[in-house]
Amino acid sequence: MLKTETITINMGPQHPSTHGVFRMVLTLNGETIVDLKPMFGYLHRGLEKTSESRTYLQAVPFTDRLDYICSMSNNFAYAVAVEKLAGIEVPLRAEYIRVIMAELTRLVNHMLAVGFLFNDLGAWYTPVVYAFRERERILDLFEMASGSRMMCNYIRPGGVAADLPAEFLPQLRKMIPHLENFVREIRFYLSDNEIFKARAVGVGFLPADMAVAYSITGPVLRASGVKYDVRKAEPYSIYDQFDFDVPTQVAGDVYARYLQRLDEMDESLKILRQAVERIPEGEYATKVPSRLRPPKGEAYARIEAPKGELGFYLVSDGSPNPYRWRNRPPSLINLSALREMCLGHKVADVVTILGSIDITLADVDR
Amino acid sequence: MSLPQILFLVVGVITLGAAVAVVTSRNVLHSAFLLALTFFGVAVLYVLLDTPYLAAAQVLVYIGAISVLIIFAIMLSRKVAAPDLVQRNSQWLLSLIVAVLLFGVLAYLTLQTAWPAAKQALGVDAIGGLGEAFVGTYALPFEVVSVVLLVALVGAIIIARER
Amino acid sequence: MQVLDDLWIRIAVWFRGLLESFLPPWAVQLTMDVLGILLLIVLGIVVVLAFTYMERKVIARVGDRIGPNRAGPFGIFQAIADAIKMLTKEDVTPTNADRWLFLAAPIVVIIPAVLLYAVLPLGRGMVGVDLNIAVVFVVAMGGIPILTMLMAGWASNNKYALLGAFRTVAQLISYEVPMVVALLTVVLLAGTMSTVGIVEAQASFPFALVTPVAFVVYMLAGLAELNRTPFDLLEADSEIVAGYFIEYSGMKFAMFFLAEYINLFMVAGMITTLFLAGWQWPILPSWLWFLIKVVLVIFLMMWIRATFPRFRIDQMLGFAWKALVPLSLINLFLVALVAKVLEPGWVRTGVLFVSNLALLAGAIAIMAQVARKREERARAAGEAAIKRYYGSEVR
Repeated sequence: MLKTETITINMGPQHPSTHGVFRMVLTLNGETIVDLKPMFGYLHRGLEKTSESRTYLQAVPFTDRLDYICSMSNNFAYAVAVEKLAGIEVPLRAEYIRVIMAELTRLVNHMLAVGFLFNDLGAWYTPVVYAFRERERILDLFEMASGSRMMCNYIRPGGVAADLPAEFLPQLRKMIPHLENFVREIRFYLSDNEIFKARAVGVGFLPADMAVAYSITGPVLRASGVKYDVRKAEPYSIYDQFDFDVPTQVAGDVYARYLQRLDEMDESLKILRQAVERIPEGEYATKVPSRLRPPKGEAYARIEAPKGELGFYLVSDGSPNPYRWRNRPPSLINLSALREMCLGHKVADVVTILGSIDITLADVDR
Repeated sequence: MSLPQILFLVVGVITLGAAVAVVTSRNVLHSAFLLALTFFGVAVLYVLLDTPYLAAAQVLVYIGAISVLIIFAIMLSRKVAAPDLVQRNSQWLLSLIVAVLLFGVLAYLTLQTAWPAAKQALGVDAIGGLGEAFVGTYALPFEVVSVVLLVALVGAIIIARER
Repeated sequence: MQVLDDLWIRIAVWFRGLLESFLPPWAVQLTMDVLGILLLIVLGIVVVLAFTYMERKVIARVGDRIGPNRAGPFGIFQAIADAIKMLTKEDVTPTNADRWLFLAAPIVVIIPAVLLYAVLPLGRGMVGVDLNIAVVFVVAMGGIPILTMLMAGWASNNKYALLGAFRTVAQLISYEVPMVVALLTVVLLAGTMSTVGIVEAQASFPFALVTPVAFVVYMLAGLAELNRTPFDLLEADSEIVAGYFIEYSGMKFAMFFLAEYINLFMVAGMITTLFLAGWQWPILPSWLWFLIKVVLVIFLMMWIRATFPRFRIDQMLGFAWKALVPLSLINLFLVALVAKVLEPGWVRTGVLFVSNLALLAGAIAIMAQVARKREERARAAGEAAIKRYYGSEVR
């Protein structure tokens, strides 16, 4: 009876809620989404190709720029890959430092993800400002260790760039209860907000089987109920020595992803507690020549980065430069299910769903 | 001439001008907004005639509801506000004759009617009287009109929902 | 005390006497009228300056920040700095915009906002016009902004603006219904539609205590009419960027901004007048009481804005039609019945207060029930998918 027309809207590349230069071509019927096409590549810097003309060590700062929120995790994954390729042993103290840094990075990332999710929902900067306050404290620790807040370039093949300063561990010890309290506070103030629940429950549902089919990883996958974590599935570094759980949710919607991030923050704090207690004295790095020539061959190493499985695939032809330098970014692959999650929802939900996937455009475009 | 009379004339000219522009504008959407202006002018005239309730009702119903509905309908229809709107078709002469005749009849009637003037200013209780008339004397017609409106409302929903 | 209470009226009387000494009577009347109108408009602008500063500070404090602190002591000149910025910014008109409507919208938007001040009783004997249909006037003027938003949204020739305009119609028209019913409840209790009369009817009990349901409904509908969180879908920054005024810049944008804050004061003033006994209450001068109550209501709105996420369009409309409208209608019947049976006094207030609280509790319980059902459905869908993937319920 009534004839309706769809309208096409370009959301982005300049849009406050696309978390960077990302564009979605939305086809709308009224406010309901009929079709969605993600368009990316605006931030492509050719990091993979550039790294192939650098030495193995020179490529470490590039990994900082992949997912600029989690530079430590990126360093970590790359270091593990290079060590696997060249067969380098890492001292135990360095492994502990790495784990501490990786878990702190996870905390930073999840804080921001939760905070910005509320920004996307229209809660005017209040939750995100509190998240930023806690993040700054962790960034202070990063600066103490590496000299830089965000582009840390700290975890290197063979170990870490420098030993922890003397005041680092006492300060971290003090901060752990504080951070635990922060997670509790978020749960208390935000989890039961009825408007938030109305906006998040049942929105952006990603069924477990579809998530696996799209090779989604990280919190998004676990929120759909699949118990998969690289730290448990294929333990790297010294993660097999820590006692922690892999939390999962059931519902697989935006709300489940939010809860999942909070649960993971709790687990990270658990790991941090153990690491701070057990960290041994000793060497912080194995000597690695600056023009490292790994033997001919290839290696793929992956870690559980805050956003999902982060992998590096390196091929060596025996020269100081890698023959192939390939990166598996969690943001890009998690983004691939965006269309399936958004169809049939409203315009406002796209923003929420995108926020709940938690992407960094620098990581998507590389 | 007193101040209210001057105001009355100014507002009247604006209202009539807007009304003419509604018909002559080539852009449907402009016409719709000018129609809202006309309605508003009429409301101001009501105020100048000491009937604030009618003025408020005019704004509420004609601007708040009817104008918005018209504009919304225009926005939702296809080829919205095409600039080259055809204002004439083959029947323009016929409609002109009818319009002139109608105007003549109305003007004649207006001039012939002996408009009774109120002896004194309207009492403050004018609204009270209106309300009592609605639920007293004219209760039945009032209810019938509401039922008709309700039927129209339900009908519109049924038409819109049919797929 | 009496002097303070009548301060502004005394000033007016004195000024009138001053004018009468050298002007003919009709000129005195004209001057006083024009001055009164100017005063109300200036009040509007002063209010905007004060409340933008207050809004920044309140939201900053809620977010554990300091807020504006550079322009002047404690940043109190921030609003003036903003105004200067607005005035000096480039005035952009999009190429394909409908020039006339684009220009007209920011001008028209300010008119109903300022007109409404005429019926706001700012203190004892301090009201622009004591209209006997003030309440209908307020409702009528509330309809005009819809028109201007449609105008702006359409004229901008921008899809976000158009979406914003569509949302406007849906939201503002929907929330007018519960708002009017809540107003009716108050009119029924006060027995008058004049704002002054309504304030005087609350000499013993403020209507917020007599009928909390109407108060809550009016407050929520007022938030929706103002496009403030959690109903700020018309301009939803994170979704449709700024909605209907996305293409406006410079002074034209400032006009929308101005209208928004003038309306904020107006709605807070109406809530104060209708439910919080307006300028009544002892000891302090009446106009100060009015100001205090208005600032408290506005603070509450800012607090809500700083802490709540926003609704989605369908949820917002559902909330209006499925929750607020039935609730306010039931309340109207209840109040009509009780007001007919019982005489005004402690008993009637008590009965109404308790029954209203029960009504609110019932409504909240039903909404909570619906929300729990949604959660269960979402959980069931997730469980089914997990079962599909693992082939069993083992996790």
